[in-house]
Amino acid sequence: MFDHLKRLSAVKSGSGIKFLSPAVFPGNHCPMRIASVIVEDIRGLSSLLVGTPECATHSRLFSPLPEGRNGELHWLYVIDSNEVVFGCREGVADALRKMDRAGAEAILIIGTCIPELIGEDMEGLIHEIQPELKAQVTFVMLGQFKNVSYPPGSWKTMEAMASLMDRCETDSRRINVLGRSPFEEHIPEPAVTGYLESKELKLRYLAPGASLDDFRQAPDAALNVVLSPFAQPLAVRMEREFGVPFIALHDKYAPSDIDRAYGDIARAAGYEPDGRFDEEKRQAENIQAKAEERLKGMSFVFSQRIDMPVPLAAYLTEIGMVPLLLHIEEYYSADSAHTRKIKDAGYDPPVCRITNIAEDEKLIKELNPDICMGYFLKTDMKYVPDMYDFYGQTGYGRTVNILKRILEVTGE
Amino acid sequence: MGLLRFKPIPSGRMGTLWTLSTIKNAALVEFGCMGHMLYSGVTLKHGGVNDLCRLYSTHIDETDIALGGTERLEHTVANIIKNDSPKVIFFLPSAVPEVIGTDLRALCDELQQEHPEVMMIPFGHGGFNVNQHDGVKNALLTLVKNIPAEVGKTPEPTFNIIGSCADLFRFQADAAETIRAVEGAFGIKPLCVLTSGTCIEDIERMGGAHVNLVIRREGEAAAKYLQRKYGTPYILHRPYGIDGTAEWLEEIERVLGSAFDRAFVEKERGIARSMLEPVMPRFRHMSRSHMEEVTLHLGAHADIVEGILSFGCREMGFNKGVCWCDSPDMGTDELPYYSEEKWIPAVEGLKDGLFMSSGEILEWAGRSLSMQISYPDRSWHLHPFEPPFMGFRGAVNLVNLWINCNIERW
Repeated sequence: MFDHLKRLSAVKSGSGIKFLSPAVFPGNHCPMRIASVIVEDIRGLSSLLVGTPECATHSRLFSPLPEGRNGELHWLYVIDSNEVVFGCREGVADALRKMDRAGAEAILIIGTCIPELIGEDMEGLIHEIQPELKAQVTFVMLGQFKNVSYPPGSWKTMEAMASLMDRCETDSRRINVLGRSPFEEHIPEPAVTGYLESKELKLRYLAPGASLDDFRQAPDAALNVVLSPFAQPLAVRMEREFGVPFIALHDKYAPSDIDRAYGDIARAAGYEPDGRFDEEKRQAENIQAKAEERLKGMSFVFSQRIDMPVPLAAYLTEIGMVPLLLHIEEYYSADSAHTRKIKDAGYDPPVCRITNIAEDEKLIKELNPDICMGYFLKTDMKYVPDMYDFYGQTGYGRTVNILKRILEVTGE
Repeated sequence: MGLLRFKPIPSGRMGTLWTLSTIKNAALVEFGCMGHMLYSGVTLKHGGVNDLCRLYSTHIDETDIALGGTERLEHTVANIIKNDSPKVIFFLPSAVPEVIGTDLRALCDELQQEHPEVMMIPFGHGGFNVNQHDGVKNALLTLVKNIPAEVGKTPEPTFNIIGSCADLFRFQADAAETIRAVEGAFGIKPLCVLTSGTCIEDIERMGGAHVNLVIRREGEAAAKYLQRKYGTPYILHRPYGIDGTAEWLEEIERVLGSAFDRAFVEKERGIARSMLEPVMPRFRHMSRSHMEEVTLHLGAHADIVEGILSFGCREMGFNKGVCWCDSPDMGTDELPYYSEEKWIPAVEGLKDGLFMSSGEILEWAGRSLSMQISYPDRSWHLHPFEPPFMGFRGAVNLVNLWINCNIERW
C-alpha cells in the first residue's frame, strides 16, 4: 500500500514525491495559480501568461481583470496549433512590444505547460527583445508536469523578481523582510519585525503587496530576513547576485535554533541583544519540555496544508515523536539539512502527495497513527487541523502555539 | 489566438468536459496535468455543477512525457472502478498528451479489454485548432453513438432534449422551463435531457423517444444520428418569447402528429402577458419616441442571441443594435462573430439601449451583471432554480430585466 512511495532521504526535489493513491480528485493547485495571484498583487508589475485556452481561462479565476488599479496589464497569450509545432517566439515578442507601447513598466512572462513542453526559449527571447523595450521583462516557466504543485509558482515567481532589481549602494540600516506583505492583516506580525523597528532599522517588506519599486531597490539592504519558504530562493539569489546576506527564521522551531538566529540578526544588523525575547524563549522551552515528556514515542502523519513539513517533522522528531508518513507539497533545497536530522534520529518515513483526500484518509488510517496534522475531510483519527494558520509566523510564539495545539488534541 | 486581454474561446477539450460533467453514474478521467481538472471543477461548481459526473485526472510528469509512460492512467482507472463502480468512464483529451501524441483511443481499447464490465469512451477533438463549440458538438455526438441501447419507441410519446450543457449560462433553468412547457402542452415526459440532469441510464433510453428537441446547433449532429439510427425526428429550435414558445410547440405538434393542449398554452400566454402588461405602455412609448433606449445589444452564443433578439424585435417592438456571436464558426452577415478586437470598441461605443452579454464583458464595461446571458464570469450560480430566459417564464424574466435596466439608465 505504501511500497510505491519513496523514503524521505531518497527525495531530492518536489518531482520525486509520489502520489499516495493514483486517482486524482480534486488534486493540487497548479503553479500558474499562485504566480497569477502574486503578479496581481505587486504594484506596477504587469504580466503575460503564455499557454493554452485552459490556462488563460483558469488564470482569470485568480487575476480576473486585464488591467490593474495602477495601470498594470495582465494580458494573455494563447498558443495556436501552428505555434505548438513551430514555437510562439514571434507572437510573444509582438505581444511584449504591444504591452510596452501600452505602458507596462515591467513584465513577468508566466510560461505554462505547453511553452515548457515545446522548449520555448524565453530567456533567449528576452535577451533578444529587451533592448527594443522600455519595460523590463523577466519570466518564470511553470509547466505543471515539472512543478507538480503550487509552491514553485510562488518561490519561482518571487525568485524571478531578482531580474528586475537594480544594483545599488548598501544602506547599513536597511533590512528587507522577505515573505511578508507590507499590508499584511491576516497573519500576526512576528515579534522580530517590531523589535527591529525599535532598533531604528528601516524595514522593507518584499512579498505580494509590495511594489515594483520595492523590489527594484531591494539590493540596498544590509540583510534579508526570511519569513517564508516561498521567499528563501529569492534570498539565496540576492546573496549570490547582490551580496545581500540572509537569515531564515521560517524553518526554525526549536527554541535553541530561534535564539541562534536572533543572535545572528543582531550581529548582522549591528545591535546588542537586550534580552527582549528571554521571556518568550523561557515559555517555549517550558512547553517543549512538557511536550518532550508527553509526546515522546507518539507517531504522527502529516496531511495537506502544512507549509514546511520537513522542518516541522524534524523538530517533532527531535522532541521524541515518530514520523510515519509525510505529505510534502514541495521539497526545498534547504530541506536536506532537516532530512538529515530526521535520519540521524533513526527515522526515514515514506513521503507522498495526497491528491484525493477522501480516499487517502482511509489509507492513512491503516497506519494507525497516534496523531495526524493538516487537512482532513472527515476522520475519526485524532488530528490537528488548520496548521496553515501558522504560515508566515515565526519565532518562539509559533513553537508555543503549535505545541499547545498538539497537546490539546492528544488530550495531554 | 495570440494576445488577448479577456478570456479566450475555450478549447474543444473544455467544451467536452463541460458537456460530460453533468452525467451521473459516470466517471471522467483526464490523462494530463491535474491543475486543469482542479480548476475546471471549480468553474463547474461556480456554475452549479457539483458531484454529478465524477471528475478525475491522472496527473502526468516529465518522466511520463519522456518515456511515454501511461501507467498512471491504468492505475487511475483501476482505482476508480474499485471505489466508484461507474457504468461508463469517459476519457478526456488533454493538452500535453495531445502534443506528445498519446494515442488515447488505443489506450482506452486496451483498458476496455481489461475491464469489460465498464464501458469506456474516449473523446477526441483535443487539438489546438478545436474550440469549445466543436468540443460540445463532438461530445454530444459521441455520447449518442455509444450509449443508447437498442430499444423500441415508448408506448406513450416521449421526448429528449439535446444540447442543455454546462457551458451555457442558466442551462438548468432553461432546461426546466423547456420541459415544463412540453409536459404542460403535450402531457408527455422527457426520457433524457442531454446533458444537464441526466445519467447513463437516461442516455441508454434515448432511442425510445418520439421526438428530439435540439436547443443548440451543436446538438444537431447527435439528433441526425439518432434520426438515422432510431428514426426519431428532431426540431432544432431554442424557444424564446411568448409567441416564439407557442410557435415552437406548434412545430413539435406537427412532428409528433398529436395536438397540444390549447388551454394550457393560452393560459401560459395569458399569465405571461398579464405579468408584462404594467410595463408595456412604457416600452411602447420608448419604441415610438426613444428607439435608442429599446435597442438590444447582444453578445453571446449565436442561438441565444438570435432567440432573444427575435423575442425583443418581433414581440416587443425593439430595435436590433450591436449584436455578435462568440464562435467564429457560427458567424453570419446578420450575426457576425466578434473577437475581443471587435467587441471592445463596439462595447465602448454603446451609449444607450439594453446590453446583454457575458459577466466578464458586463463587469469590464461597468454594466449591471443582472443583464448576463452567457459565460464567462466570476460569479457563483449555486441556485439551479433561477429564472430562465427560454420559454414563457423566460419571456417574463427578460422583460423584467429590460425594464429595470431601462429605469436604471433614466
